[in-house]
Amino acid sequence: MLQSSLAGLTSGGAYAALGVCLVLMYRMVGVVNFALTATGAFGTYVALVLWGHGVPYVAAALVGAAAGAAISALLGAVMATWFYDVGPEVHASVAIAMMIGLLALGFQAFGHGPRSLPAVLQGPAATVSGATITVVAVVVVAASVAIALATWVLLRTTTIGVRLRAVSERPVTAELLGIPARPLTVAVWALAGALSTAIVVLVAPTRPSDFLSLSLLVVPALAAALVGVFTSFGATVAGGIGIGLIEGLVTDSDALAPYSTVLPVVVIFMVLLWSQRRERWDVTR
Amino acid sequence: MSRADRIARPALLAAAVVGLVVVLPTLLPDYWLFLATSAIAAAVIAHSVGIVGGEAGMIVLCPLSFAAAGAWIGCWFATHAPGVPFVLQMVCAAAVAAVVGAVVGLPALRLRGVNLAVFTLGVAAAVSTVLATASFPGSDAYVTVGRPGGFEDATAYYRFCWIVFLVLAALTTWASRRRVGAAWRTIRRSERTAASLGLSVPRVKLGAFAASAAIAAVGGVLMAGQLGLITPRGFEPLASLSVFALAVMVGARFPEGALLAGVMTAFVPELLHRLGIAQDWGNVLFALGAIQALAAGAGVAEIARRRQRARRVRRAAARPAPAAPARDAPREVRPLRAGGEPVLETAGVRVRYGQVVALAGVDVAVRPGSVHGLVGPNGSGKTTFIDAVTGFVAAEGDVRLDGASLRGMAAHRRAAAGLRRTFQQQSASEELSIAQYLRLAAGGSLDAWMTAEALEVVGAADATTRIGELDVGARRLVEVMGAVAARPAVVLLDEPAAGLGPEASAELAAHIASIPARYGCAVVVVEHDMQLVHRACDEVTVLDYGSVLAHGAPQEVLQQERVVTAYLGQEVAVG
Amino acid sequence: MSGLAIEELYASRAGGLVLRGCSVEAPAGRVTVLLGANGAGKTTLLETVSGVIPADRGRILVDGEDIAHASRRRRARLGVAHVEQGRTVFRHLTVAENLRAAGHGARAVAAALETFPELEPRMGTRAGDLSGGEQQMVVLARALAGEPRVLLVDEMSLGLAPIVVQRLLPILRAAADGGMAVLLVEQFAPLALSIGDRAYVLGRGAVVLDGEASSLAGKTDVLRGAYLGEATVA
Repeated sequence: MLQSSLAGLTSGGAYAALGVCLVLMYRMVGVVNFALTATGAFGTYVALVLWGHGVPYVAAALVGAAAGAAISALLGAVMATWFYDVGPEVHASVAIAMMIGLLALGFQAFGHGPRSLPAVLQGPAATVSGATITVVAVVVVAASVAIALATWVLLRTTTIGVRLRAVSERPVTAELLGIPARPLTVAVWALAGALSTAIVVLVAPTRPSDFLSLSLLVVPALAAALVGVFTSFGATVAGGIGIGLIEGLVTDSDALAPYSTVLPVVVIFMVLLWSQRRERWDVTR
Repeated sequence: MSRADRIARPALLAAAVVGLVVVLPTLLPDYWLFLATSAIAAAVIAHSVGIVGGEAGMIVLCPLSFAAAGAWIGCWFATHAPGVPFVLQMVCAAAVAAVVGAVVGLPALRLRGVNLAVFTLGVAAAVSTVLATASFPGSDAYVTVGRPGGFEDATAYYRFCWIVFLVLAALTTWASRRRVGAAWRTIRRSERTAASLGLSVPRVKLGAFAASAAIAAVGGVLMAGQLGLITPRGFEPLASLSVFALAVMVGARFPEGALLAGVMTAFVPELLHRLGIAQDWGNVLFALGAIQALAAGAGVAEIARRRQRARRVRRAAARPAPAAPARDAPREVRPLRAGGEPVLETAGVRVRYGQVVALAGVDVAVRPGSVHGLVGPNGSGKTTFIDAVTGFVAAEGDVRLDGASLRGMAAHRRAAAGLRRTFQQQSASEELSIAQYLRLAAGGSLDAWMTAEALEVVGAADATTRIGELDVGARRLVEVMGAVAARPAVVLLDEPAAGLGPEASAELAAHIASIPARYGCAVVVVEHDMQLVHRACDEVTVLDYGSVLAHGAPQEVLQQERVVTAYLGQEVAVG
Repeated sequence: MSGLAIEELYASRAGGLVLRGCSVEAPAGRVTVLLGANGAGKTTLLETVSGVIPADRGRILVDGEDIAHASRRRRARLGVAHVEQGRTVFRHLTVAENLRAAGHGARAVAAALETFPELEPRMGTRAGDLSGGEQQMVVLARALAGEPRVLLVDEMSLGLAPIVVQRLLPILRAAADGGMAVLLVEQFAPLALSIGDRAYVLGRGAVVLDGEASSLAGKTDVLRGAYLGEATVA
């Protein structure tokens, strides 16, 4: 049982890391970026195409991350230009439309089928009570923690982080002080795109690697972000890893295995019902 | 509407229906007829997204999951009870889906739409997985879903689908004109406004959800009937997202928008195929279209309706206005209670925001039939007081309406109990007509007299004028009349004269002064405009730093030294 | 004319016209006071100058250059600083971070601490936990750190004890003496008039009265009428 649970650690780490990106974007630019993993998948596939043409893997991955950053920056520029002063629902709807567009373009460019992936980071890393933990799992979980920490450090200590926090709290006042709100917003999008590509690149060999499946990683990532209530990085990491571990457990049981994608939904449902025990409605509107 | 309009529109509509339903199928070859039938089922599903999103403002990303529920029930009947009439199966599917929809909507009750979108996307993914594994009932035995008796062949089934669509469209159009639709649009615009009108926000939201799920399920049953054998393919999350984007793009809350969505779903892939272009570009088109519609704030059908409406308004303005109809004598006014018991009484109302004390124990008594002004310098807590009394902010202390304590009552219950308020920011949905808003505010029964009163106060000729077509001052007056239309015990008005010019302000003062006599409500009015306060108010309470500073007749109170000090500062009062 | 000049400004909020042809001059080196009852358009005027809301018609000249169509950031770079109503500190940032956010460098932060030594021990405190007076100091320091040409101050005294206000007003005076054009909006006339050079009274979006601050301070009846309504003017 431990083994099957730990088998979900890789996915859990990916959900955690992607969830952190989603929380970062929501806190900083006020958008739930449904297109995050589609962007990451796009960047990943760019890397794969390059690798298929003989480019060394690391270089290809870096170019892929740059591509992911560029695409994300473009989406962010669209958001910041035409959707600057709108509510979160409109932002979410635009992000959803962007996801659909990216999916369609991705299918066009890369097809619907899975791709062969390089055999990096294979193999076991450690053994715990007879259960093995793979290298990939360790790397991804470490990456998710590192991203959460780095984000926290960035926001707390650097000037850019201070400005980002200022812009997210009072965008008008920040602009009145001469802080470049819109370029900062696009920068956050670009960063999220690069991170998303890096995570998807790491995790792709362990999952169905067709464009659609990689793009739909956003669903469990959103579940992780919801556990963190879109505010806490720590809770998001914990939530993502937790979902991955439970998914691993569920996959082990023959009866429950086909329903493993139902799990994130159940988690979201229970979290939402729990967090809204006292009835209230949206007082801000 | 002019006579020409009255005849032309229904005639055109009838001609279109006859053409599409009766004539068209006889002209189409089989394959195109098949596509056209799919288009109608898709239109129904798109309409379900439009209803919950375009009308009620909630993002639902799993319409195909509800459709799958409908299809599932159709298959179930085909396997276990094939004798049941098709229409009954559809009704059953709608009912079950409504319940499922309400359950799925539970997370939506409190949270903003984004969390709901996240959740419904998860539902779409989960249902798709479950279907892939569990599959539809009877599929391994190749049981096909039957069609309604007498409508088995392709042409007849096409017409049956049209009938279902038209019935649904009529239902949703009817609902959108009545309180249900007005409630949905108000929720979309502002949930607290809905609560201030006495609506239970959770109930309205769940109702929208259930309606949307039911409609989508009907679409699913139509699909099942058309295809006979249903596979899980076609109910995938990506397909649900495409439906959502398309619904946003076309404005699927209106039947013609939904039809456009259906046509695009069925025929765009076909068109691309014939042109030799890959299918994915269709989705790119939908995505771009949705983004454009979101930037413009309206989908295709919505823009078309707006233009049509604008044209009609222009033509109506050009025509000479009809003479105002003679007004009946006023209905019996609610008798003002004589006697000293205050109709609204607060004791020790306290509001704290963290460390900041916004209200430090406010005691106010509003006599029946009076207009009670609430004034004070900026930041003294006037709006906070209204929020506390009407239940929009958590407060300590006691609030009594007609002697009964309101402690623990939610905002909408207080509104329903006879405590109405307006907001500083404009809150009425611009899509509602004056009559619709008044009906919504009045809680169902609205007599012609009150409507005529409101029209006179607002200065509009016609109760079907949309609120969005009025200027800001008139909109504010509509909200005031809406509060009054419910014949509450007390009406609290928050800065009703803000932004009005001097003459409009004077007129408003006269109206406010006459509210107790004409409608039987006591009034509390928060204002900065002192002219209005002098003209309209019988008594005035002055707040300063969250406490009551003075109370009495306006002439006398506003001369008091400490009041002048509060407003102007020490030296001016002395000098 | 160096400083701020507003010519026939029209501006609306949420569909309603608030400023109706407002013309105000706030020359450099002087404190210009803007009085009037609430709803008269004082805050709207400041927000139109700094760019929070767009102007419908009219000109806004800073040292002769019309900024009525410039972006908020550009106006900030041109030297327009706006101290908004309600003490708009970044509540989740510390005092030090609030001063750093605008990016004017360590020298500017040091200068701010010279003017407000009371903030020194509070540099690491979250701005949301400060008292009203301290928050107002942070906002002022933040604005002054950029060495603006035009300083717009909206109801600084709101919710502050008089003694605190008396601490802060001389700073505005000193800023004007140093060459800044200061436009000060206040509800409490005498406080503002005590440091002001020229004063305007706004009513329903237009100027109804203007003159030297010293002469207006004496016209108490007129002021009372403008604020509290005609019935109080004997």
